[in-house]
Parts: sequence; C-alpha cells; structure tokens
Amino acid sequence: MEKLNITLYRFDPSCDAEPRLQSYDIESDGPLSVLQAIRHVYHKVDGTLSFRNSDCRRGVCGICSMMINGRRQLTCMCLATDGMTVEPPSNRTIVKDLVFETD
Amino acid sequence: MSEGAINRTIETDVLVIGGGGGGLRAAVAAHDAGARVLVLSKGIVGKSGLTQTAVTGFQVAFGYADPRDNPEVHYGDTIRGGYGLADPALARIFCDEAIAAVEDIESFGARFDREADGKLTQRKLDSSQTYPRSIKKGDSLGTPIMQALRREMNKRDVPRLHEMLVTRLLKDGDKVCGAIALDFQKGEIVEIRAGAIIMATGGAGELFPVHSNTPDSTGDGYALALNAGADLVDIEFLLMLGHAVLHPATVRGVLFTFQYLLTKGAKPLFNSEGESFLSNYDPEGNDNPARHIYARAVYGEVREGRGSPHGGAFFDPGSVSHETLMESLPSQTKYLEKFGVDMTQPIEVGAAAHYVCGGIKINTQSQSTVPGLFAVGECSGGPHGAGRIGGNSLTEILVFGKRAGAEAAAFANAQGAGTPNSDEVLAEASRVTSYLSRKRTGPRPNEIKTRLQKLMNDYVGVVRNNEGLRNTIAEFERMEREDLPAMSMAEDNRVGNYDWIEALEVSAMIRFARAMAGAALLRTESRGAHYREDYPELDDENWLQNIVIRHTGNDDALAFETRACTPGPEYTAALAEAS
Repeated sequence: MEKLNITLYRFDPSCDAEPRLQSYDIESDGPLSVLQAIRHVYHKVDGTLSFRNSDCRRGVCGICSMMINGRRQLTCMCLATDGMTVEPPSNRTIVKDLVFETD
Repeated sequence: MSEGAINRTIETDVLVIGGGGGGLRAAVAAHDAGARVLVLSKGIVGKSGLTQTAVTGFQVAFGYADPRDNPEVHYGDTIRGGYGLADPALARIFCDEAIAAVEDIESFGARFDREADGKLTQRKLDSSQTYPRSIKKGDSLGTPIMQALRREMNKRDVPRLHEMLVTRLLKDGDKVCGAIALDFQKGEIVEIRAGAIIMATGGAGELFPVHSNTPDSTGDGYALALNAGADLVDIEFLLMLGHAVLHPATVRGVLFTFQYLLTKGAKPLFNSEGESFLSNYDPEGNDNPARHIYARAVYGEVREGRGSPHGGAFFDPGSVSHETLMESLPSQTKYLEKFGVDMTQPIEVGAAAHYVCGGIKINTQSQSTVPGLFAVGECSGGPHGAGRIGGNSLTEILVFGKRAGAEAAAFANAQGAGTPNSDEVLAEASRVTSYLSRKRTGPRPNEIKTRLQKLMNDYVGVVRNNEGLRNTIAEFERMEREDLPAMSMAEDNRVGNYDWIEALEVSAMIRFARAMAGAALLRTESRGAHYREDYPELDDENWLQNIVIRHTGNDDALAFETRACTPGPEYTAALAEAS
C-alpha cells in the first residue's frame, strides 16, 4: 500500500473570491500516474473536484497537461509523488478547479 | 437557471456527434457537400477519441509489397475475418474505396512511411492478411491522420463545440431532427436542431475494467441510437485482445503489440509454470495465433491456476529483442519504460476489451434504419461481422466517414429541418436536470459503473456461458430498476460537474451492456470474437445469421431478431480449405 499526500488547485469562479490549494491523502495498491491520482481523489476522496476525463492516457493528445510543481507537464506521463502540487496552466481561464477553457 | 428548461438552441444542417477521426472525416465531407456542419464532442473535438492512439497500421490493397494483392483479395480477407457475417455490400464498398480514401487523406497532408522507390511501405500484420497490406507511420499512425483532419477542419472553419454530452436524439415523425446535449463547461442544457445527424461516438471499452480505449469510451452512441429506434447489429462480437500490459497499474490496458515483430518459431507467452501455451488454444496450433485467440488462451491458463500475479501471462522478452522494440515500437517501448517496465524482463500481459465489431446497423449510404441518422466508425455495424481484422478500422473511418458526410449533407438538403416534439424536449431536459435535485445518499455513478465492469468482465468478456449471461442480464435489469433511480451525485453544482456526466453515461452503459449480453445469450455457438464455453463450436447450419436489436414500444424493452446472412463464395471457399 502506498500513501501519498497531494495538493490540488480548487477554484469555483461562481462563488470563490480566490483560488485555494487543498491537500488530500490517498492510498493505492501501487504507483499512480498524476492523472490517475487526480481521478483517485475524485472517486474515493472528494467528488466535488472538477477534472477532465476525455484524454488518451498515453501521452498523445495533450489534454491532461497541467502545472506539476510549477512545471507544465502531461499528467498521464508523470508518476504521482508525495507532496506534489497540481494546478491548471496559469494563462488559462478557469471553468472550475482543474477544468480550464480550451482553445 | 430554472430546472427542466432548455438554456440555448443551435441550428445546423448536419450535426456530427464525436470528434475523433471518423467524426472529423465526415464533417469535412459534409462541409464540402455544401452543408452547414456542427461537430460536438464530449471531449475536445480533434483531440479526444481513439483514432490518435492508433499504432500499427491500416489496410489498403495497393499491391505495392506484393503485386498479387488487390481490393478483391482484401475483400476476401475481410469476409473470412468476419466469419461470414460481415455485410457483403458494405465490405465491398470498404475494400473498393480504401485506395481513394488514403489518397484523400494524403491530399490533406498526412504522410506515411515509404520505401526507397517512393511507394508506400506495406507490411503483413498477421495471418488474417493474405499479402502485406498495412500502411504505417513509425508506431504512431493515428497522429498524422488526426493532424491532417484537424487542419482541414480549421481551413474550412467548421464550427465545433467541446465537452458536450448528447443525452437524447430528437425525432420528427420517423426521422431525426436534432439532439439534446449537456454542456459540461457551462452546465447548460442545449437543444440542437439538425437536418441530419452523424454518429461518430466510438466504442465501449469502458464497460470493462481493463481496456485499450480512451476512458470516455462509454458506448453512448449505441444507447442513443437504440433510444431513437435504430437497429444495432452484431454487437455480441466484442473483440478482446490478450496482449495488453497488466502491471504496473499505471500502464494497465496499454496494448503491447509485440506479435507483429516475432521471429519465426518464437513462443511469445508463457504461464506461471514457465510453459508456452498459445498453440494449445489455436485450432491450427500456431504459437502466434489470430489476435482473439490470445485472450482466450490467457484466460484458460488463469482459470487453470497457471496465471501471472495480476491475472495474465508472461511475455517472453527473448521472443523480440530490445533493439527490435526500439526500432519498430519506439513510442510504446519508451512509454512503458517511463513507468518502470523493464522490457528485457518478462512482462505481465492479459485480456483487454478492444473493439465492438458490430454497432448501429448501416446501409451503403452509411445511414441507420432511422432516416437522417448516419453512423461511422466503431459505433457503426455491418462492415466487420463477427470479427474485425487488424488494420481495418482506420480504413473504415476514412471510407465511411467520407460517405456519411456526403450522404448526410444530401439528406439534410433534400429534407430540410424537422421540428421536434416540444414535450419530448422538455421531458429530456427535465430528466437530465433531475439528477441535480437528488438526495446525496445513494451510490455515486462510479460505484455503479464499477459493479457493471465487474459483471461484464466475469460473464460477458472473453468466455461466456448460458448461466452467467442469464444471471448478468437479470442483474442489469435490477440495476436499471433499483440502482439507477437511487444513484446520486457528490454535489448539485452545474458547472464542470463530472458526476453529472458520469451519471448520464452509466445509464446508457447499462442499457448497452444489457443489449450486448442479450445477443451473446441468444447466439448459441462460438464464432469470431464471441466464445461460448457451453457451445464451443462454430455452427454454420444454424448461425450464419446476424442478430439485430431494437427497442420495442416502450424505452426499456429490447427485441432481438435473427436474420440470415449470405456471405458468398469467399467464405465458403475458406471453410472448404479449413476442413
């Protein structure tokens, strides 16, 4: 069993004055990609988290690209690590949480 | 926003539902035929969908690699690979128009691998191809196709809307006239009015716990078409592959396509006792059998207690060298290595759902049995029958995408826009919004989905039998009766609420799962991708028939009908040869 603490960006423009960072403890049977860790939070810890689920899971489409510890990367191609922070790209308009407006 | 109301209405001539390769090809063709087109995707148009992940190849009978190859031979391979159940007229069009379809996509700027003489490289993927016929681009064939189609969409400025989940097709009398969709980003209910609709919604891998599809492949299109009164055909033929990576979980379901690279005499898989076993499960005794046999063989070893720790078998790294992997499958190899898979050590592989061979029954115009409703790609049914041979899927989206686009434009032009029944529109808006006002006490959509996936895996997957299918169908009916009405979401927020999307998807998934299990129960034989352990033999005397499914009067009941199929001399010749 692996235990991780990850921090995710939360912001609902319709009611929050400012974005906030929320930390989550997750447990899994083995290593997770960052994308899987986000889904894990949504399914097992906090169903109010908004995220996208139409990605390719294998580094082709680019939809899952986020800021991981301040660096823009594909969340499907990186391993989730204890203490990491995941945020949307800073230049995008936020729809809610990890969902931002697309081109 | 008031509950049960339409928040906005959009009008177009041709509505394309799905933004993968088939949807984009159809949209470009419909635009070029003079129609106003709108493309909707529940993901991102042009970036979501399975086409872009295509690896190995697509079949086009140019005859460059072997001059004996031509569309006629390709047709014979397709009919044999469909075990006699492919619709001959559709398979004929598919093979005859494949060459022109590739020339089109090349004229859009897609580039594929070529030989020194400038001709397209063609290779033989497996024994289902009589001659080397598959076109490739490194190990990432989907990328140039999607790039080219995105460019053509942009050039024509075809309107598109991202993250719109269609929840119902609307009708005016017998024909379709529009759709209701949920806008994920805005949380709005949208009515689209259209003269014709093209379904390009892909497959249903997400019905299973391990699959090679994108995670949004929930089979919405099948359920939408059933609801609109369209026929489905051949959906019991669910292609399960046996060479998906099972461990670690970070890469579970990713296909490892080593079987196209094996040296002669290689025995690529072994069980927990170190024995190779594939040839024991192949009627012809091959160590590298047809791809649907892989899944059955791995399943058999696991059931006999000789499986790997995560329910599969081991790939023997000695059967393909690391140099060959890096040369022929560089993207796959690097991806797996990035997540800690040591490609020089045994790798756990096993069953993954890959492709629904049937789907929305289409005619030669790519039109369903409902006027104005067209379908292209995996969501359609007819061209493949009981099994789709490797490399026929990309060709299909290009051929039938072009057809569906042109035909839908002509239909919309001739028939004009219909008028939906306003009661039906409001009833659907109210069904969709009703999830928001539910109590927070019931199971969340994902819990119900997990239950469904386990049932599909255990009873409607690689190996099926009478008792398992009957019990599973009864359980699906109970889930529709009890679980779905009790299902609740984590919050009632309208914007970016993924539970809301998943709640609507799960309802459609159970409906389609019930249809698939029903057809599998009815087919008391084994053929192609469908294997019944209680009826393990192919039965041409009784089962050279397609199973057609449709909704009856009320929304919940399904009617199953069998129809004789006449596959022609290509199939009977193959049978004679086999015996």
